[in-house]
Amino acid sequence: MPAKPAHGRVHLGARSLAWLEGFGGLVGLALLLEMAPRAGLVSPHYLPPFSAMIVALFEEMKSAVFWIALGATMRAWAIGFIISVATGTVIGILIGSSNILRMLTRSTIEFLRPIPSVALIPLAVLLFGSQIESTLILVVYASFWQVLIQVLYGVQDVDPVARETALSYGLGPWAQIRYVTWPTTLPYLMTGVRLAAAVSLILAVTSEVAIGSQGLGKEISDTQAGGAVAIMYAYVIVAGIIGVILNLLARALERWVLAWHPSMRLHIVEAGE
Amino acid sequence: MLEVRRLRKVYEDASRTVEAIRDISFSLGQGELVCIVGPSGAGKTTLLKCIAGLLAPSSGSVILEGQTVAGPPPAMAVVFQEYSRSLFPWMTVHDNVALPLKHKKMKVTRREELVRNALSAVDLAGLDTAYPWQLSGGMQQRVAIARAVAYEPHVLLMDEPFAAVDAQTRADLEDLIRLLWHRLRMTVLFVTHDIDESVYLGQRVLVMSHAPAVVMEDVSIDLPDDRTQLETRSMVRFGELRKHIYSQIQRAKQGWRPPGM
Amino acid sequence: MSDTGPIRPIRSLTIMLTLPAALVTTWWFISAGSQNFYFPPLQTILQTFLKVWLSPEALQNVIPSINRFFVGYLAAALLGLTVGIPIGASRHVRNLLEPMLEFFRAIPPPVLIPMLILFTGVGDEMKTLVIVFGCIWPVLLNTVAGVRALDEVLAEVVLSYRLSGFARLWYFVLPGASPQIFTGLRQSLSIGIILMVVSEMFAASNGIGFALVQYQRTFAIPEMWAGVIFLGIIGIMLSLIFRAFEAWILGWYHGLRRSQREN
Repeated sequence: MPAKPAHGRVHLGARSLAWLEGFGGLVGLALLLEMAPRAGLVSPHYLPPFSAMIVALFEEMKSAVFWIALGATMRAWAIGFIISVATGTVIGILIGSSNILRMLTRSTIEFLRPIPSVALIPLAVLLFGSQIESTLILVVYASFWQVLIQVLYGVQDVDPVARETALSYGLGPWAQIRYVTWPTTLPYLMTGVRLAAAVSLILAVTSEVAIGSQGLGKEISDTQAGGAVAIMYAYVIVAGIIGVILNLLARALERWVLAWHPSMRLHIVEAGE
Repeated sequence: MLEVRRLRKVYEDASRTVEAIRDISFSLGQGELVCIVGPSGAGKTTLLKCIAGLLAPSSGSVILEGQTVAGPPPAMAVVFQEYSRSLFPWMTVHDNVALPLKHKKMKVTRREELVRNALSAVDLAGLDTAYPWQLSGGMQQRVAIARAVAYEPHVLLMDEPFAAVDAQTRADLEDLIRLLWHRLRMTVLFVTHDIDESVYLGQRVLVMSHAPAVVMEDVSIDLPDDRTQLETRSMVRFGELRKHIYSQIQRAKQGWRPPGM
Repeated sequence: MSDTGPIRPIRSLTIMLTLPAALVTTWWFISAGSQNFYFPPLQTILQTFLKVWLSPEALQNVIPSINRFFVGYLAAALLGLTVGIPIGASRHVRNLLEPMLEFFRAIPPPVLIPMLILFTGVGDEMKTLVIVFGCIWPVLLNTVAGVRALDEVLAEVVLSYRLSGFARLWYFVLPGASPQIFTGLRQSLSIGIILMVVSEMFAASNGIGFALVQYQRTFAIPEMWAGVIFLGIIGIMLSLIFRAFEAWILGWYHGLRRSQREN
């Protein structure tokens, strides 16, 4: 039956409306952050007006200190992230592919996994002080488990029929991994990557705040102690933006891989927002 | 008992307007079992939801026992097609059936009695501590039916409840509905796309046209009241009624509409 | 091989303990005669552990830490739930707030420590508040996601049987969103521990993190190692408590998933 077009009303698609509302929310927040200190609701010593934060941000971006700190954080994040993803994937596939290894390592994994990375801080400080190695210890220890656990789920999810078919065709272990294990594990790995990306950032900044390693966290800590409050907030905003960007990138990657695996949606629920 | 008066439902969204239901009127007497059958996408579910008070009609009204329906009335219960999604997976079968009763003021003993009777009426006595996901599809739908029956509704609405089960289970469930209908003397409105099912079950069959939907015909099913899958479906009269409704639906698919609609 | 009677659990236990036992034994023997200042013998560490961390004095550090953690975590969970449910239920509120909330959540939690020091100094409030502000986001955002993803058919069932208000919340919304909510609670648990420890490393007067930093600064190495192990055990215990709680609340969900996987 022919459908009549709606007259006389501006109809925004649902998605455009969502974007507009979201943007509006952010603008509202900025306005609130601008007005509250000016109106005296909060002391400008603790919370300077939003505009002051932005000005401080642009000023900082002109100085080398900013870029060195940003670079240091990203460097520590990247190295730690890559190490944990690589080792987590390889070890995960190795352990997951062998029943014996899986059984043997299970208790150790369950025992080591909940140990908080921050427990290693004193050790790291003793051994490496505030150098990047300290940060890497924290980052890798925390992120590795995220990747490992997901990869183990993935390898376990491999369809036994597919595995047997591969065996019956005489596919060697490498071919099996490539054609059977890897495609099934990939979506799980993407989830692990997303979680590891977030955790790596958190621990990198933790190290900077707690140990004083070079990076955004250290700048935030120093500027707070030194009373340069607007600059501190500028760095906080940058840290948040980095977090958002990493999250968006990781999700985009995950969605792209997910396009081939619609059944993974429930898994994403369990792994978290 | 139930009257649908000149019901019209129009959907509007960002880009266009769709008239799902143009003009539907019919009535249901107390204790009747009436089926609604029509081509897919004809708006049968929309109609049922309007009657159930889950959707507001664009114009026209639904009148239940003399009162206009403005929201889900307490005298109605609905059984949905997607049985696995209509039961609470975090509750046992017993709790699923008992939940709607908790909000009708009654004593615990009475409530327990209703639950027990409903579960045995659908042949699921003894499964009350099971969880829905432990049961087969047919059994899950029985739980949903038990829940509706325990609620003691005056009108039972069923939205293609057996579309998603296998043929054998469907046959069993159809017989269950007729049994319950006889025993509990309920008024039932049964929506389906399966012509055979509508003829087998109903006293009357309302044939719906394509969207914008209207009632094309109100067919009286003059088959004996005592129906069995084997005998009733092989009756000559069954074949005639079936053929008649089938041809009506074919006409509807080709765009034929009753005059003036 | 046939598994009869008591053999199966014994074999499972053996398998479970093999690798950990091997690792611990290796550590013990490798470090046994150690002269290295930074890596004392495992024996020394364990002795120190019993003497220092399981003593009544240790409680003066442990109890305030655990206290602050639980108060902060539970407050964050409650707030996250209370705020998350109405946000998740309304499409427009969600659209309005989600970008902002995602931004706040993306701010690495340790950064909150200097920020809160600014507002509340370095006292107890800071340490508890920082846990609240750090832990609320995963709970909040996962609650929003969970409420948003409630099954529409079930929502219609609830509507058709006229369940509203508190009943709808208790029998439908909360249980329906609970798997996703627990994901958020789990993430918040790790964040809470990080914040508990690190906040105490900043000019605190008591706490596990404070003790660790003291030992490290005064080069009381075996005590420090023992503290590392102790913190590890705390982490493991919190994780076990959480999982037990989750298994209790989400028993139905695990059963559901298991039955789906088997089909």
